[in-house]
Amino acid sequence: MINDSYNMILLIAVAWPLLLAFPALHSRIPWPLHIALIPTLVLIVFPGTVSLPLPKLLLGTELAINGEVKWILLMCIAVWLTAATVIHSSRDNSTNNHRTYFLLALTGNLGAILSTELIGFFSFSTLMSYSFYGLLMHGSDKQIKNSRHLYIVFLVLADVALLEALLLTASTTKNLDYQTVRQTMAETSSAQLYFWLVIVGFSLKAGIWPAHQWLAGSFKSTHRSTTVLLGGVPVAIGLLGALRWLPIGEHSFYATGIVVIVAGIVAILYAARKFFISTSLMMLPAWFAVFLTGLFIIMLGTGSIYPDIWNRNEHLMHPFIAVLGISLAAITFTLSRRQGKEPDTDSQRANIFILWAENGFDFIQQWTEDRRLILKSFWNVEEKYQGFMDRAKPAVFMSRWSTAITIFVFLGLVLAWLAA
Amino acid sequence: MNWNAWIPLIVVVSSALPGLIIFNLAENRIRLRTTLNLIGALVKLLLVGWMLWGVYNEQIFETRLPLLPNLDLVLRAGPWALFFVTLSTVLWLVTTVYAIGYLEDSPHRSRFFGFFSLCVSATVGVALSGNLITFLLFYELLTLSTYPLVVHRGTEAARRAGQAYLNYTIFGGALLLLGTVWLYTLTGTLEFTATGFLQNLDEEHHPALIAIFVLLVSGLGVKAALVPLHGWLPQAMVAPAPVSALLHAVAVVKAGVFGIVRVVYDVYGVDFADDLGVTDPLAWLAATTIIYGSLRALFQDDLKRRLAFSTVSQASYITLGVALASPIATIGGVVHLLHQGLMKITLFFCAGNLAETLGIHKVSEMNGVGRRMPWTMAAFTIGAFGMIGLPPVAGFVSKWYLGLGALESGEGWVIFVLAGSSLLNAAYFLPILHRAWFLESTHPWPKERKFGNRETALSLLLPPIITALMALAAGVFATGSFSPLEWAQLIARREFHQP
Repeated sequence: MINDSYNMILLIAVAWPLLLAFPALHSRIPWPLHIALIPTLVLIVFPGTVSLPLPKLLLGTELAINGEVKWILLMCIAVWLTAATVIHSSRDNSTNNHRTYFLLALTGNLGAILSTELIGFFSFSTLMSYSFYGLLMHGSDKQIKNSRHLYIVFLVLADVALLEALLLTASTTKNLDYQTVRQTMAETSSAQLYFWLVIVGFSLKAGIWPAHQWLAGSFKSTHRSTTVLLGGVPVAIGLLGALRWLPIGEHSFYATGIVVIVAGIVAILYAARKFFISTSLMMLPAWFAVFLTGLFIIMLGTGSIYPDIWNRNEHLMHPFIAVLGISLAAITFTLSRRQGKEPDTDSQRANIFILWAENGFDFIQQWTEDRRLILKSFWNVEEKYQGFMDRAKPAVFMSRWSTAITIFVFLGLVLAWLAA
Repeated sequence: MNWNAWIPLIVVVSSALPGLIIFNLAENRIRLRTTLNLIGALVKLLLVGWMLWGVYNEQIFETRLPLLPNLDLVLRAGPWALFFVTLSTVLWLVTTVYAIGYLEDSPHRSRFFGFFSLCVSATVGVALSGNLITFLLFYELLTLSTYPLVVHRGTEAARRAGQAYLNYTIFGGALLLLGTVWLYTLTGTLEFTATGFLQNLDEEHHPALIAIFVLLVSGLGVKAALVPLHGWLPQAMVAPAPVSALLHAVAVVKAGVFGIVRVVYDVYGVDFADDLGVTDPLAWLAATTIIYGSLRALFQDDLKRRLAFSTVSQASYITLGVALASPIATIGGVVHLLHQGLMKITLFFCAGNLAETLGIHKVSEMNGVGRRMPWTMAAFTIGAFGMIGLPPVAGFVSKWYLGLGALESGEGWVIFVLAGSSLLNAAYFLPILHRAWFLESTHPWPKERKFGNRETALSLLLPPIITALMALAAGVFATGSFSPLEWAQLIARREFHQP
């Protein structure tokens, strides 16, 4: 009886925010965005692994929760609660439409996390992605259109690629649960095609280099509540999709793995470079996200080449995605709070190209001096400590510090994973 | 008395009779006309429900009346026929409600609703036809009853569109008649059968059978809007919105596509047609139409014209599914007959609402309209997402089965056609949604709200919402009992003799 009720909570967790998405409902309820997450909270608190088959829904689907899924759900709750609180506390005119997009995206996000087969994941993530477009549009800088246009173009291309991958899979096996798909697709003649369709599809959705432009632009130009969600929603679900769909751990895909690793390394180098020359504070989490997704791609590539290593360490991937989502949300939240207090942040850091344009080759000296000051301020613990103590610059300190700590933690995780 | 032998005829008459009475009503008899319309639609719906239940339980519903020597007028309710009849009947009821609101202050309403009812009778007759001669009769009746609807406004543009419509459809009808007569002289029968009736003909007749196939498909291709016979459809969008909805989603285009399906499955037989080598060119023609229609839609600023070219593209999915000659592709094609109807009628209703309420006719005028007419644009969004093939709307289910069917039959190139079409559909539907929901209005809407707090009249608002929800439900509960997909699977099993 208790188990049946618990099963039903799986359905309620997805259906409740969907129901609340109706403007007639959420406009009459206090704190609707927070209330929408209550069943999910209950789901996390309850112990055990349960599943709920829904054969009459979406060509037959199933929702389930286990230990790995709880990691992602935990991240999901943290990120969405933060965004809901930002919306609630800001004086910003959060319209009914905005709340509807928010709740629809939440529904899609939860459904994608809880679904146990490909069609369910695809359907829910599609709902999430298109609703997220509404969030990206909310309160965004009307002058910066490119990132939003790129988002929707990439989204359509990704959906087409993933639909092709789905069709390939369904023509091979009737059972579309993740484990069966992995085993089956690794052995088919179309395994390489399937692999690339999935990689390309989810790279576009998650903003992985070289399809990162929409992500970078969105960090800079959208509303604070949405930037908090960027890491934990489209990026995290894109990575989760790649993790669940790719036939890694069954056979070695040597050539594919090498290409993927090279792409990951380039992504990391590119992101690192961008991170240090960026003139905008709000772009830092964007390059950090590109950096982390590059790391993720390297891990996928390594797993593609060495199935044994992957099978031993696969359990770390869900926590990786969860920490990625939470840390990106934390950094973005902190930086955006700081930016709210000090709007002219661009002037604090000078872009190398701007300096060159203004000063010719004398820029080298000026740029070097600027970097030295930045590094000094970045690592000068005494100054940070003093700043923190006298509360003169706590936001500056916290933003840099959280960035550094997160990078450190992730590097530690990756090293541990590689060493294992 | 065997009622089952009369029900198909009563279903046809249930809309024709009110139509004939309505013709003779004075313009001011609004209440009587509305009552007759709705009673006819509801009676038809009940009878179709009865037949659905009966056919599901393998009962036979067949009306046979002598027409010519050795040729009977046959109305038979099989799974295929009922699928189309159900679509027509349900959507007729919804469209009638919509048309009552849409034409509230228009002249010539008795004439309009009279032909409207006759048009649905002809469509149901086309669907229930048990042989090619019965099909031909109702097919031509459909042409005659829709022409007055196309020219209903009486403007110069409407007359030109009507002229084009007549030219195309009479030409198509002549080809169809020629093919039918030739076929009859060759075989001595025109009776639709589950496996076709041509496989036993000698091989020497095969060239003639190919020529007849070309004649029949060309004749039907006019109404099905296959390229290059599609020219009438974008012109006919000058008709009032309920007529456009009827042409694109319920009656004319569907009758043409349904005819092609009948010819492939019940005249030639899908296996024989495949052996004869006529299905591959048909598949290529359908694929060309899919891409061509989408490309043309991309460049239309007139909303209804964009939707019209979208129909040119989307209707050919059905033909493509049939031409692939595999059980799964058949499911995709068949189910798209109904899914496309639900989605396209939603889009046309919404286009009508925008035109009637705010005077919006062009895509470029739609900035910010989502905030002024949220329910209409929510319905439009569901319809557009379905057309793109996004889950969980019904269009995804169609594309899913078409894609699987293409892989099953070894026609991998179809996947690229489906992908290309999806991209093009997204390219011409998403900008509309972007404008409507996210851009600021470029000019002020009329401040006067004639309908209280509602965005438009209830009779205009409810039909698109209902059809949008039906399109959504057909996708979300695709595997549910009595869903369109389940019915399409039943049809495919019977056509391919599977258990």
